[in-house]
Amino acid sequence: MFSVLSYGRLVTRAVIGGLSQTDSRDYSLVTARCGFGKDFRKGILKKGMCYGDDACFIARHRSADVLGVADGVGGWRDYGVDPSQFSGTLMKTCERLVKEGRFVPSNPVGVLTSSYYELLQNKVPLLGSSTACIVVLDRQSHRLHTANLGDSGFLVVRGGEVVHHSDEQQHYFNTPFQLSIAPPEAEGAVLSDSPDAADSSSFDVQLGDIILTATDGLFDNMPEHMILQELKKLKKTNYESIQQTARSIAEQAHVLAYDPNYMSPFAQFACDNGLNVRGNDYHFFMRVEIGDKAEVVLISVHWLHSCPASGRMTPREE
Amino acid sequence: MTHCSPDPLFLMLTLLSMFYYICLRRRSRSGTRGEALTSRRAVESGQRATLPISVEVEQYAKEVLDFSSHYGSENSMSYTMWNLAGMPNVYPSSGDFTQTAVFRAYGTWWEQCVSAPLPFRRTPKAFHSQDYIELAFEEPVYPTAVEVLETYHPGAIVQIMACSLNPFSQNPPTDVRWEVLWAEEPTKVLTPQARQFSPSIKQLSFPTNLIRVEVNSSLLKYYTELDAVVLRGQKERPILSLYKMPRIDICDLSDSDEELSDPGVSFRQAGDGKHINLGNGYFDKLPYELIQLIVSHLTLPDLCRLTQTCKLLHQHCCDPLQYIQLSLQPYWARLSDTSLGHLQGRCTLLQRLNLSWTGNRGALTLTGFSSFMKACGGSLVCLELSCCHFLSEPCLEVISQTCPGLQELNLSSCDRLHPQAFTHISKLTRLRRLVLYRTKIEQTAMLSILTFCIELRHLNLGSCVMIEDYDVVASMLAVRCRSLRSLDLWRCRNLTERGLAELAAGCRLLEELDLGWCSTLQSSSGCFQHLARNLQCLRKLFLTANRTVCDSDIEELAANCPALQHLDILGTRMVSSSSLRKLLQACPKLLLLDVSFCAQVDARIVQELCGLFPNVAIKKSFTQ
Repeated sequence: MFSVLSYGRLVTRAVIGGLSQTDSRDYSLVTARCGFGKDFRKGILKKGMCYGDDACFIARHRSADVLGVADGVGGWRDYGVDPSQFSGTLMKTCERLVKEGRFVPSNPVGVLTSSYYELLQNKVPLLGSSTACIVVLDRQSHRLHTANLGDSGFLVVRGGEVVHHSDEQQHYFNTPFQLSIAPPEAEGAVLSDSPDAADSSSFDVQLGDIILTATDGLFDNMPEHMILQELKKLKKTNYESIQQTARSIAEQAHVLAYDPNYMSPFAQFACDNGLNVRGNDYHFFMRVEIGDKAEVVLISVHWLHSCPASGRMTPREE
Repeated sequence: MTHCSPDPLFLMLTLLSMFYYICLRRRSRSGTRGEALTSRRAVESGQRATLPISVEVEQYAKEVLDFSSHYGSENSMSYTMWNLAGMPNVYPSSGDFTQTAVFRAYGTWWEQCVSAPLPFRRTPKAFHSQDYIELAFEEPVYPTAVEVLETYHPGAIVQIMACSLNPFSQNPPTDVRWEVLWAEEPTKVLTPQARQFSPSIKQLSFPTNLIRVEVNSSLLKYYTELDAVVLRGQKERPILSLYKMPRIDICDLSDSDEELSDPGVSFRQAGDGKHINLGNGYFDKLPYELIQLIVSHLTLPDLCRLTQTCKLLHQHCCDPLQYIQLSLQPYWARLSDTSLGHLQGRCTLLQRLNLSWTGNRGALTLTGFSSFMKACGGSLVCLELSCCHFLSEPCLEVISQTCPGLQELNLSSCDRLHPQAFTHISKLTRLRRLVLYRTKIEQTAMLSILTFCIELRHLNLGSCVMIEDYDVVASMLAVRCRSLRSLDLWRCRNLTERGLAELAAGCRLLEELDLGWCSTLQSSSGCFQHLARNLQCLRKLFLTANRTVCDSDIEELAANCPALQHLDILGTRMVSSSSLRKLLQACPKLLLLDVSFCAQVDARIVQELCGLFPNVAIKKSFTQ
């Protein structure tokens, strides 16, 4: 009798312990990276989380998961400045800030502001500019807080429909809002937006939602319905299927970019404006939150964009 | 009687639950917080099989509690002391990186400045520390090793200490003990490359999770940078084995745990000074002044011990003439209200007092401090109170009331001092040297001080983040403090060319000006050229990380400031080697030139310039 009682006690304890564990809903983060380098080889990871001029980071601190993407403005190359340095450093700094807890989950614009300030504290004189998009998932309150400066952005897909998306911030065509540090002689001539200019939003997310963040490369080449179509194919919640879906989106977008006959949304807009735009680097990230384990997958791809008017590819010189 | 046969389903359920429960508990117990790295290696004690196995724990610092200075900005991560907590970010790479902990100064450059305080007499030879940092770890252990990961210009560490207090405990004990784990004088390390510094430390009789690292960078060629500190130790008290007996150092004896105290028996003053045979041997034959001279060479603890020997020496050692200068900084770990109380009677002629680093964690209180100041403040000329966190507004009020003749006041890194406290400083109208580095002084108090303390010669407002408009401060300085010789405006981020112009016009005697990281100054406004033309006595100019400094600024300095000795133009892309050459030729007294991260000045040019001008230390930092 005694042994049964003690077992009983152990059982009750275990069950209660188990319940509290699921109550806190500790989401886990699964990342998968698929990168296309400039030389089109798959899976090459240049400089860690840097692909061409774009960079990303994922970090976690206590109850928040933070994801970020920055698209370095390629025009700096003409002035002898490596555009990836700025975006890469910006994202690495955001990552450090998050890991050290120097941020408030409900204020992702603060992450951008602090990170930009830190860039100015570097002894090395950094130059360059980039867009930025920060997404903070508060695991406990199940809310997503976002900040977006420029033409990167995010989509939240629920049940096959887009429920939230970010808006592009542009000054004029192909000139998004951007954080920048300019050389002193060019001060005033270089576009430099304050981190406070970022759009921010906050909303609830549910289990089963798919969050997709991307730089302009995705949205400029692949219309929404095609993205949704790919995401519909995602049935299972394990890492492999998420990875597979992300890869297929990436590859599709890649194909579309190189298809000289395909009129992408960006190309359409460009041609409407009578512009013959040179190739840029584009890539996107996808984060998927699915099931009771809320896995998040990060995929990044970047490729070259072709201008349909000429029908040629204009590769960027390194 | 019913036969209780266990239900197989129930049995399986309980077994599964037990298994789950055990797994959960194990996971929650071994899951450590945040940055603490816990590796458990069974270390056998090595004697008998029946002795318990002691487990060694390895931890990174959890939190930085206190420090005396740093290079970085107060609300930033870059080059700040907070980087010393947690896991290393840079090690084993070497270089000048933002993720490391960097102190404010290096070498002897700051000691060469006019603003540097005179050294105190009676500083013990074993005391070399210039800066410190205190780290808290997660778990108290009996330390077996302390490793410091230095990633740039290593070799600054001179002392490692451990405290018996657990900084995270809810009920701190009243007696706080600090033990020296390791100490050595500064040694020259020739390479700037990263290294793991792990000296052999003393065995402790108490567990600790509060470590203090003291540094001295005077022999280093550039800023030292620290990445992380690892504390290795055992959770259980180790068995003191004979072959591990700690070495008894001669230095330990002189810095032992004895309190500075009176013998307890009061002596009347000796009579008329005639040669009376009092049984003191040859000492009776020596003139009073000679014994005073002999005794003046003793360090303070020895002086206090000598008072207890005999009446004659007691008289000599308590003579106020021995206490004209008093530095209690080397004894910060043992100083308390009681000690001050005992010293009070002897310090009536005190002119220079150094209480830097003392009194923290309740060792000194307002009562003890005020009582001491009331007894001894009358003739006080210099008061060093760097990192004195016991200070509060009433303390400053006491100082302003009891030290009317005070000329030097150092409140460096007293960052817990309430802004209101600084208003009392304006009553010290004879002030010549005022250091407010890293304090929370506000604009109104600052302006009030500048209105009344018109004799200011040396003013340090580095990292005073609460002052809103430095242009107004500069303007006030130009009007009121015309005898200003040195001004430190390190990281004064909203100073513009307007303020600088007024400063240059008003304080023509300025010899030292630190405008490092003042990002709002634009060379295109001509402010640096104007500065050079007006301040012809300039000996030190720091324009660190001002990205707008250009060739014309350097040429103007070359033309107008022949007395220039220290120049820092870190991080500008606009200065070429030709203007630097002109400067080096025009300023024969130049000793320090920092061209780190100057894009046009590469290593080859630096080498060439070093060859042409061997007297100048040309610094070029690197990030590998």
